[in-house]
Amino acid sequence: MITGSLAARRSFVIGKLDHRGVAVLLLLGPCLLYLIAFAIYPLIYSLRLSLTDLRAADAAGHWIGLRNYGDLLRDQFFWNATKNSAIMVVSSVTVEVVVGVALAMFFNLHLRGSAIVRGILVLPMLITPIVVGVMWRSLLNPDWGLVNWAIVELGFEQPNWLGSVEMAMKTLILVDAWQWTPFVFVIVYARLQTLPHDVIEAAEIDGASRWGVFRHIILPLLMPAIAFAAVFRAVDAFRSFDLIFGLTYGGPARSTTTLAFFAFQNGFHFQNYGYAAAVAYMMLLILMIGTTVLLRYVQLRPGHAE
Amino acid sequence: MIGGRVIRRRAERAVAYVVLVALGVFGVAPFVYMVILSFKRRIDILVRVPPSLSFQWKTIASSYREVLYSQGMLEFVRNSIFVVGVSTLLALIIGTPAAYAFSRLPFRGKKNLGNTILSMRFMPPIAVAIPLFLMIKEIGLRDTYLGLILPYTAFSLPLIVWIMIGFFDEVPREIDDAAQVDGCTYFGLLWRVMLPIVRPGMVTAALFGAIFVWNEFLVALYVIDSRGLQTISLGAATLVSAEHPIDWNISAVVGVVTVVPMLLFSLLVQRYIVRGLTAGAVK
Repeated sequence: MITGSLAARRSFVIGKLDHRGVAVLLLLGPCLLYLIAFAIYPLIYSLRLSLTDLRAADAAGHWIGLRNYGDLLRDQFFWNATKNSAIMVVSSVTVEVVVGVALAMFFNLHLRGSAIVRGILVLPMLITPIVVGVMWRSLLNPDWGLVNWAIVELGFEQPNWLGSVEMAMKTLILVDAWQWTPFVFVIVYARLQTLPHDVIEAAEIDGASRWGVFRHIILPLLMPAIAFAAVFRAVDAFRSFDLIFGLTYGGPARSTTTLAFFAFQNGFHFQNYGYAAAVAYMMLLILMIGTTVLLRYVQLRPGHAE
Repeated sequence: MIGGRVIRRRAERAVAYVVLVALGVFGVAPFVYMVILSFKRRIDILVRVPPSLSFQWKTIASSYREVLYSQGMLEFVRNSIFVVGVSTLLALIIGTPAAYAFSRLPFRGKKNLGNTILSMRFMPPIAVAIPLFLMIKEIGLRDTYLGLILPYTAFSLPLIVWIMIGFFDEVPREIDDAAQVDGCTYFGLLWRVMLPIVRPGMVTAALFGAIFVWNEFLVALYVIDSRGLQTISLGAATLVSAEHPIDWNISAVVGVVTVVPMLLFSLLVQRYIVRGLTAGAVK
């Protein structure tokens, strides 16, 4: 509100061209026009597609109303993908938050040389997810992969990481956690550096146990950062399909086909544009409901998250 | 009593260092393993487990030459740098003034508009990829650089606006007021006063926009047909997709070639990475 009155005074003092409205229009206009053309319009286009039976081979699809959506609700593969998405998002975010917070606390000891290790741990985030997939397919290869070799050397039975229906989803979650735990770690660690030291020290002097200090003082203070990281990760895990593309291609037996991958398969492999668009819209619906619920608890806008 | 506590402290510290070293080793191991595999012949990988640490220059040269030249990876890297560079630059040019308006100027519907732009960051790629492809085809840009640059600019734009709002918000308002007293217009203020201050922020925003687009391959899968125009992630995707059986040494080379430019780039701008990640989270 203060800005409002200030800006009003400015526009009065300064010349005509700089009138506030004109300024807003000129500064914001190009960005909005661009997003309308290349983000909003495609999104509406997608909605229209979802009401047709357009396939790559046809010149034009036919209007079929809500049939795609009806088919979708009867498609067992859709429900399978929905279930897989739910499992993947919830488990990978849980793992990432727990390990990420633990890492942040560990690095908060500020051991000598920890800056280098921190730099190393951030690397997975920067790697193309497809390459992450291939990298782990090598590491987990049942015949010659390094991980299985080590497991056998240590005298354990080697898990069929990617080949079995029971394991593949767990492996996908682990690999996703390997790539994205650093994201949670970096955010929580940065937040940790801004916490007031005196409160924590006072509690320690009062004889609180270290777990008690963490549980009752540090953790509540970290909560906004953790929530922020968790929401980001949840949405990204939900919508991304490229790690699956590189790691499992949705298999075996569709056990790692999430909604995002299901949509990709329909839209690219089967070239079934209308159906893929319907899946995409179901995803948007889930995202909208999910983020509306989540955003009640988390403030995401920069500059206002005090 | 006190002696016991000191010993316990020391022991804890020792354990902590062991954990630290282990983290470091486990952190680099997958990368080192990929590099080692990329130096091997196909047959060596299958026969010798774990791979030996002796290397033959001839093998290395021939695998890398195959990937870089015969498979065209070098060209893909060049294409990616061009497409990502131009689209990131475009997004910065369009996005920075918008972020400035969000940070400094009052207007109606600001909050909703900001949230809408932010929510585009979370769009499932598949929701827009097919329509974007059909649009690009319609305007005759299928299989061109521009056909990728236009959608990619839209992909990184919300991210860049969002990160830049955070950086503009950090600039004290006294600076605006002082400049305004000196008779600066909004545009003069943005150009001469603000931009020099938020330049590090622009690097961060550009970095994150670039990573985002560097990894994109869904739209590229639709838009690009000619091999000569493929981007690196599209090239990598077609070479190493989990759908096909693959040559493990070649796929490791593809991995190394894909990852190295990104790692080099991020080393150069390392200090901006943490700032970008925490933009908005930690204030």
